[in-house]
Order: sequence, then structure tokens, then C-alpha cells
Amino acid sequence: MSTSVFINPTAFEAGLEAAYRMRSTTSETQTAAFERFAKLGLPNRRVEGWKWSDFHNALRTRDIAAGRVEGERPSSAFDALNPVEFLIEDGRIHLPEGAAPSALRFGVVDPVGTIAELEAHSIVALNVAMTRKALGVEIADGAVLDRPVHIRHINTGAGQSFAQTLVRVGKGADVTLIETYEGRNKGFYSHLNHMAVRDGAKIRRYVLQNKGADCIIHGVCAAKVEAAANFSQTSLSTGAGLSRHETIVHFWGDDAAANLNSAALVADKRHADFTSIILHKEESGTVRQLHKGVATDRGRAIFQGKFEVERKAQKTDAQMTANALLLTDGAEANHKPELEIYADDVECAHGSTCGALDSDALFYLRQRGLSATQARALLIEAFAGEAIAAIDRDDIRSVFEKKLNDWLEAHA
Amino acid sequence: MLKIENLHVSVGNDDTAAEILKGLSVDVPAGEVHAIMGPNGSGKSTLSYTVAGRDGYDVTAGSVTLDGEDILDLDPDERAVKGLFLSFQHPMEIPGVQTMNFIRTALNAQRKVRGEEEMSAAEFIRTIRDKGKLVGLSDEKLKRQFNVGFSGGEKKRMEMLQMAMFEPVFAIMDETDSGLDIDALRMVGDVVNALRGPERGFLVITHYQRLLEYIKPDAVHVLADGRIVKSGGPELAMELEKSGYEQFIEAA
Repeated sequence: MSTSVFINPTAFEAGLEAAYRMRSTTSETQTAAFERFAKLGLPNRRVEGWKWSDFHNALRTRDIAAGRVEGERPSSAFDALNPVEFLIEDGRIHLPEGAAPSALRFGVVDPVGTIAELEAHSIVALNVAMTRKALGVEIADGAVLDRPVHIRHINTGAGQSFAQTLVRVGKGADVTLIETYEGRNKGFYSHLNHMAVRDGAKIRRYVLQNKGADCIIHGVCAAKVEAAANFSQTSLSTGAGLSRHETIVHFWGDDAAANLNSAALVADKRHADFTSIILHKEESGTVRQLHKGVATDRGRAIFQGKFEVERKAQKTDAQMTANALLLTDGAEANHKPELEIYADDVECAHGSTCGALDSDALFYLRQRGLSATQARALLIEAFAGEAIAAIDRDDIRSVFEKKLNDWLEAHA
Repeated sequence: MLKIENLHVSVGNDDTAAEILKGLSVDVPAGEVHAIMGPNGSGKSTLSYTVAGRDGYDVTAGSVTLDGEDILDLDPDERAVKGLFLSFQHPMEIPGVQTMNFIRTALNAQRKVRGEEEMSAAEFIRTIRDKGKLVGLSDEKLKRQFNVGFSGGEKKRMEMLQMAMFEPVFAIMDETDSGLDIDALRMVGDVVNALRGPERGFLVITHYQRLLEYIKPDAVHVLADGRIVKSGGPELAMELEKSGYEQFIEAA
């Protein structure tokens, strides 16, 4: 066997290399990406930005070759919305059956590289090297899609899988995109989502993660948001063995806007990391970001949020709030809010809090007849519910609310 | 009804524990309204929190019984289900909690434990709107998050709304009159007087005699330095208004 591109490869890295070398075709982009990955290795706790999410350690002994598991495909709580449904099952893309709106074009396409800002991101490099086919979805200019698009990411086996999606929302178009990460499997899943939101377009992205306690998952959504376009995202995650969702938003035109809401509900030894970077390149961008983390038992809720404002991006108005609620002594929350501002006429703010349930409020509620559990559930719901309260469609909000209530039933 | 005997209560950790109630005894028979008056720091709020079952109030001696049953070992919600209601001196704002949802959840939680039927949504809304009018809280206020952005007076109205909704067996009103204007005092009187009956008791804790013009007490007790130093009829309240608490602080 030829020498490895890794220095002291872990079992996981050796497995990856074997899988990579077995492939019949790889593009130049992929070859370069694999070499980049080999040099960088999986991020570990000593790498800036990865202190609380050590993928190197979590994956080192994972067997990447484990197969998929055949089984009945579960129904989705979003089925009632009559979405245009795409399925990415262990990386395999299934296009929707039946009629789809004519303003929606889609297909299985060759994967691409990534944006310059993500080239030094080792999991992205790995994804670029390993993904065989990507899902492309395009909403025509000016189209207002009345049916939501639902991309279901389902993993079944204990092995690894990679997926890429390319979403382009045409000028002035309006779309609701639901992404669910499902499967109680043990495997590793990496998803790279490149998105373009053209001038005046509007996307509402809803992300719901419901994974097993042993699964390891990494998702990146890199969105290029043009002038007067609006990127709105609400995420709810109950974590996984190791889970990180990164949202990278670049404002490429004036008057772009983003709303980012996220809630992490982590029990047992689960882990949920929400990391985001919003880069303001042009004037008058607006951002409202709210994160709520609830951790119990030995759960860990991580939030890293960064606003970068370039010199040109005057009149930027960006606010970030991250609040954590710790229900037990062993629970953990880590927040890293950052502002990096080179413009002088901006309003940027961040706030971060961490606390326990308010004993005055608990006593008040119990004096009114609520049991200790009911009182806790009501207060946790009030805390975390703020992150999903702004979902404007009742049918989508109620799915998120049910997920929150199910979690409270088990862990309050 | 509510019988408190030789109650000793300490607050604080072992080395910093301070005894606040020092052998307090009060007996409020069913159908009666008793007032407890006393200066700041005499132990009025400690008394209400201890009877309601708040953590951190350590009963070192004495007993509290409701209808003959010892309630000191019960959790706060178990006491509430027995019909004990506390109108808080400083009601909480609870952001994110919808007022109607909370009151309905609480009402039905109490009913469920008592083996009573839950109140339907329609009946609940009708009832809370009626009682809202009685206490002077508009529908708009009821639709808000619990007490969020409410004035001190509105928060007290919210306490009276809950008392009217829950129809407790025994209510402790901890300085419900503080911060209220004359119209609001009359409203408090209306709520209490509407609930007064042979099966119900009230303990009204106050600094001032004014509220007692609207709620005629059957007995008045003076609390000073952790114990009752004088008991009498309604005329005792008038006497206190005139000559103050000073005489009792020295007596205690």
C-alpha cells in the first residue's frame, strides 16, 4: 500500500483514505480538497473555534465502512404541509415523486468546491472531497412558492455519509425551506449547503434536528445574500453525540437582512453547537439573532456567533442575544459572541446570559397548584419558546412546539 | 380552619440562621376574616411564605393545620390543591408565560388532583373575562404574558383575579393593599366580600387600617418581633392607626 497522506492517521482517517482511493473518478477540485483535509486533519479542541466541539476525538475510532440499514422510511410531521419533498438518505439523493411547481427546478448535479472563506475548513474540505453527487434546487425569479420545499436528511447506518445541496432563490422569489436531520443511527453525517439568495428574494429556512444520542453530525449552510434580500432561519436541535450546525451568511448587497433564531435542548450527554458568522460587505444590513440553550443532566449547549462588518458596510444594524438555562449541576453552556467591526457608523450589540430557573417564579407557580415538574416545564417552555415564537406559519410553528413539548415531557 | 400554634421559623444557613417567628399562634375559624398588622420586619412575610411552603423557611417548632390537617410536610402545590391561596406582596413577572394558559393550567391542575372535572376552554374564557371585569383587567391585559409590563396596581389586580378564579378555602393576603389607590382597595374589598362564606377563611396581612374599611375583620392581631403581642376586635386597628406600633415594639 502506498504511504498515507496522513501523519499518524486515526482509524477513521485511514478508513476515509481507503474509501477515497477506491473511487473511480475524482475531480481536480476533489483531489485538492482531500489533500487539504489530510493536511488540516479533523478539527480538535486546540483549534480556534472548535474548543467545545472536538470532532477529531469523537470520530477517531469510528468505522466509516459500516453499511446502511434498510428499513421503512418514517413519515414526517411536515407531511401535512404538502411539501415538495427531497430525500437524502445516507447521502443518496431521491427527487420528489409527482408534480412539482413549475417555478421550482431541481436535479442531481455534480458537486462543486466551496467558497474561499471555507477553504481552510477541514470538514468542508472533506465534504468536497467525498461527496459524489449534489442536489440542486432553483426557484425562478419572481416566483412565490406556495408549497414549502422539504429536504429530509436521513441516516440509517453506523458509517459515514456526505451530502451537498445547492439552493438558488431567484430575484424577488419567495420560498420556505424545511430541513430535517433524522435517524437514530450511530454514524457520521456531513452536509454542505451552498445557497444564493438573489436581489430582493426571501427565504425562510426551518431546521429541525432529531438524531440519536450516538450520531455525529456537522452541517454548514453558507448563504450569499444579495441586495434587499432576506434570509430567515429558525433551528431547533436536541443535539446528538456531537452536533454542530454552522450558518455563514454573507451580505453582498445593500439592505440585506437576516434573522437567525436557534434553540438547543440537550439532555443526557448530548451536545449541540450552533456557530454562525455574518459578514457584512455592503451598507445597511440588518441582523437579529436569538439563541436559547437549555441543558440538563450532562448536556452541552454551545453557541458561537460572530458579526464581521467590513469598512464599507456603514449603517449596519446587528443584534445578537444568546441565553442559556442550566437545569442541573452537570449541565454546561458555552457562549462565544464576537464582533469584528471596521466601519464607524454602525449599531452592533451582543448580549449573553446564563442562569438557572428562577426559584421565585417556581414557587409562585407551585403556589398556584402546578407540580414541580409542571412549573419547571412551563418556565423552560417560556424560555426556549421565544426562539420559535416568530415562526409565521402556524403549521410549521406547531411542529416545532410539539418537539419542544415532547422534550419537556421527558426532561423537565 | 387555619390554626397556627407556637410557630418558630428560622431563615438562612446554619451559621447565619436568624429566628424570625418566635412562637406565633393564630387561630382563624371557618367563616372568619382575621387581620394581622405589624411594623416592618416583624415577620409578616415570613409567616405567609412559611404557611404557603416556600423553601428556605425552616420551621424549628410549632404546627400549622388547615381543617385539622398538618400541612407543614406538604409541598407548596399540595397546599394549593388543599385550597390554600397566597396573594403575593410582590407578584412575579413571568416573561414568555401566557396569562390565560397559565391560570387555566393551574386551575385544572388543582381540579384534577381534587378529582374534579377540568373546566372547558369555553367556560374558562367566559369565567376569566367576567372575573377580569370584576378586578379591572381588560381582555387585552389577560392576553399578555404574565404580569409583563404591568404596574404594581395591575399586578395586585392579577392576584385578586386568581383568587376569584380559584375560590380558595383559605386565603392569605400579604399586603395586597400596598401601592393601591382607593378604587383598587374597594375592588379588593369586593373580591373578598364576594368570596366570604361559612366555609372560607382569610388572613389579611397589612400595615395600615385603610383596607379594613373595605374588609371588616372579625379579629385583629398585632405582630411584633415574631409573635402576636395583642389581639382584639376591629377597634384595635383604629387604635393602631392613631398611636402607631411603637408601644408594641417596646412591649415585645
